[in-house]
Amino acid sequence: MTTKIKAEPKSSGVTNGGARIVVDGDDEVLSPTDLSEMLAEGTKDSHDKAENCQFVKDFLRGRIKRELFKRGTAALYFVYAAMEEEIEKNEDHPHIAPIYFPAELHRREALARDLEYFYGEDWESQISLSAGTKPYVDRIHEVGQRDPVLLVAHSYTRYMGDLSGGQILKKVAQRALKLSSTGEGLNFYQFEGIHSQKGFKQLYRSRMNELELDAETKERIVGESNRAFSFNMMVFTELEEIGKTIKEEVQDAGLGHSHAEIMEGGDINKCPYYAAKMVASGNPTYACQLAMTLLTHPPCQWALAAWVALLAGFTAWYLL
Amino acid sequence: MADMDADTAAHTEPSVEEEEPFFSNLDLLLFSLIVGLVVYWYMSRKKPEPIPEFKKLDTPAPAARDTSFIEKMKKTGKNIIVFYGSQTGTGEEFANRLSKDAQRYGMKGMAADPEEYEMAELARLSQIENSLAIFCMATYGEGDPTDNAQDFYDWLQEIDDEDLSGLNYTVFALGNKTYEHYNAMGKYVDKRLEELGAKRIFDLGLGDDDGNLEEDFVSWREQFWPSVCEHFGVEASGDDSSIRQYELKEHTDLNMNKVYSGEMGRLKSFEVQKPPYDSKNPFLAPVTVNRKLNKAGDRHLMHVELDITGSKIRYDSGDHVAVFPTNDSAMVNKLGQILGVDLDVVISLNNLDEESNKKHPFPCPTTYRTALTHYLDISQPPRTNVLYELAQYASDPKDQENMRRMSSSSPEGKALYHSWVQGACRNILAILEDMPSLRPPVDHLCELLPRLQARYYSIASSSKVHPDRISICAVVVEYETPTGRTNKGVATNWLKNKLATDNGHKSTVPMFIRKSQFRLPFKATNPVIMIGPGTGIAPFMGFIQERGWLKEQGKEVGETVLYFGCRYKNEDYIYQEELEAAEKKGVLTQLNIAFSRDQEQKVYVQHLLKNSKEHLWKLIHSDNAHIYVCGDAKNMAKDVQTALQDIAEELGSMTRTQATDYVKKLMTKGRYSQDVWT
Repeated sequence: MTTKIKAEPKSSGVTNGGARIVVDGDDEVLSPTDLSEMLAEGTKDSHDKAENCQFVKDFLRGRIKRELFKRGTAALYFVYAAMEEEIEKNEDHPHIAPIYFPAELHRREALARDLEYFYGEDWESQISLSAGTKPYVDRIHEVGQRDPVLLVAHSYTRYMGDLSGGQILKKVAQRALKLSSTGEGLNFYQFEGIHSQKGFKQLYRSRMNELELDAETKERIVGESNRAFSFNMMVFTELEEIGKTIKEEVQDAGLGHSHAEIMEGGDINKCPYYAAKMVASGNPTYACQLAMTLLTHPPCQWALAAWVALLAGFTAWYLL
Repeated sequence: MADMDADTAAHTEPSVEEEEPFFSNLDLLLFSLIVGLVVYWYMSRKKPEPIPEFKKLDTPAPAARDTSFIEKMKKTGKNIIVFYGSQTGTGEEFANRLSKDAQRYGMKGMAADPEEYEMAELARLSQIENSLAIFCMATYGEGDPTDNAQDFYDWLQEIDDEDLSGLNYTVFALGNKTYEHYNAMGKYVDKRLEELGAKRIFDLGLGDDDGNLEEDFVSWREQFWPSVCEHFGVEASGDDSSIRQYELKEHTDLNMNKVYSGEMGRLKSFEVQKPPYDSKNPFLAPVTVNRKLNKAGDRHLMHVELDITGSKIRYDSGDHVAVFPTNDSAMVNKLGQILGVDLDVVISLNNLDEESNKKHPFPCPTTYRTALTHYLDISQPPRTNVLYELAQYASDPKDQENMRRMSSSSPEGKALYHSWVQGACRNILAILEDMPSLRPPVDHLCELLPRLQARYYSIASSSKVHPDRISICAVVVEYETPTGRTNKGVATNWLKNKLATDNGHKSTVPMFIRKSQFRLPFKATNPVIMIGPGTGIAPFMGFIQERGWLKEQGKEVGETVLYFGCRYKNEDYIYQEELEAAEKKGVLTQLNIAFSRDQEQKVYVQHLLKNSKEHLWKLIHSDNAHIYVCGDAKNMAKDVQTALQDIAEELGSMTRTQATDYVKKLMTKGRYSQDVWT
């Protein structure tokens, strides 16, 4: 009897490149009751679906708008804050203690740093729990309070995914958003406490398999993991929808602010091109606004200053 | 009337004496006002229009766009073209860097997206003198080309009778080992071009993003350019001066407070210690114990204990302790002598590329002595790119020729390097001694030498039992080289000399903890099988201490089995007392020792595994035992894995393949962990 080498897909809250990551072989010969294997097998479909949703596919191709990335980061913040809060509360619970790795895994601080980078010091007041993320966060709190063993499912779905596709996503984001190679804005993807991601995943799996659970509970965990996948997809779908309403970014190095930021603020009148269009069509108020914008633009100011100086020179020369 | 005339006359005189302007002042004023307004109006009108227009212009443009890269190269005087297959931009970035590199070697390069050009022109690239096509090809998904390389890939597959002889090429592949089709695209391009008759002028480079893609790229590229130069018979540009990356600045009146004396990050971090401690801010741990472990023999195995009281450092059994060693001062002095420099001059090496994040190659300002002692690796055989850069400083033409040859990619060059540098274990000092005409300036040498790395040791104690102490078990590296010199391991010799008290002072070791994933099972009842010959026993001393502690706490502890190996019972059976005591107390349920040289045939740990195969199989297959292997990666770890596969095959009634998968599966599920080193 020959054994087929099956690709065992990693579970991932986001994705891992659409490719199959070969881990090991067949699970028929070995214990099929290991939670790690049940999870891998039982969430395969959800995982494929998540990989193939539009948002993820676009992301992998580098098509991610900064605004969406920021909102995505905010969504992740709420999810991980909730998850880690519940895990902390249950750290001594027999089903949580073996998989309790705060130093290695927890992302809340890293996400806070990323949000500070994107939104500034008052980031906390600028982000809010979106409608698409709320059910996910609520569910996490619910299981944390009523059925903590299911936190294992949530932890598995997110962290194992982060440790699988994480580096690829980081590179994609870095490139697409022109982020610095020093890692600002991407702390989420950096697991400072883990030297070998592969080694850690192996350790984590062994800990999950050490949990003393009956078959029924294991099934419920698999079910909850699938639920976590669909919660993640809800967040993607919401981001996709938001994405459709954001116009294409026009990089405006000259006048110092991008379209996206203006759209964010909601005030299209602030856009210099829009204002200029209005001037050309003869609208006086916009002319003033354009004048003001141009006047605040350094090269314009210098040109104006030079011209005034020239004028003053002539005047002085004339008078003297 | 006359007065008025006089007045007018008086008035007109000055104006006659003055320069007569072409336009009147008022004219000028009005003119400049108008010009100003026109410019202003023009500026405010011009901007909005191009933007909506631009998008429309874009689409008809491709038809008229120049898709001939050969024409472009001819027009811009380029001889090197770097094509990139890139999805996330890394391949493109590498291509840009390579095209910029070309300048250093007197050539001109350009990066190019294969999607934008007529790749069939590759057949005619030889039209350009000294031309070279470099390919930075990333693999995407299941061994597929990136989007922008799809057409190129299709073309490569279709053309069968295309003759690409005359095309010089080389490929650097970007990929990730966790994927099944690692670097498939890069490998394909490299092979296919050769099949079509093109000439490969340098080996395929393989970059692994799961490891360190940047490092792979940089190493490949460092060897690549010297070979390109050799291939085209081109010297590095700027006659004899090579392109330096850093500029030397000597400081004459600097306050010593501002000078680095070995710190890794913050100045004075060794004097004023503040947690948290990490690689940039190590903790100076006092050495409390430093004893020899072996009873006899010519090796020196040591047990060193570091005191971490008050540091707030926490660790778990199985973690690694990282230490920052320093080079032997005698060797540093010899370097100073042979180069004829005052090592105590305070200097800075400043990056000429102001955009770079890396301002200095090592913390500056500092002295040459500090740099050569704390920051630079002077023991490892220098890499070929170092030899290439140093060649210019060999005044004897034969020495220079040899240096260049050894850094080239020609077979004779590679062979010479392998024997003269690697085989003979020559470090930089040895090279300078054996090549008397080679006398580089010390600052250039400091720019070229690699950084001295921290060394990692598996911690040999348990934090449950010894929370304030970290133990290290190591063997001192010392050996004779073919040139009759004695090479000494940097860290092990440095550690050996860190005696517990040194003239009343406590020796300290700059250290930090690196967490590992090598952990005892969560449940104490879970059986463990530990295999760790030689210094590989280190983490298991910690494991055994911890299992003993659990037992003392009244916990039920599962079987704790150890397989240890050494040469002679009477020489290097390290920790014999501790291990026998643990066995007596029942902490170690089974102690198996292989004394490899105590009998005629060699006996190693894997033989002992086979001897107790039934018991082992029961533990592994039925009792959920966790297996741990620590020590030598090359032979021991492989042999142990094979032995376990054999046991699975025999006692588990499996086929060879099944047994291999079974063992691999144990690894994936974290039941078979390895902490091994080469």
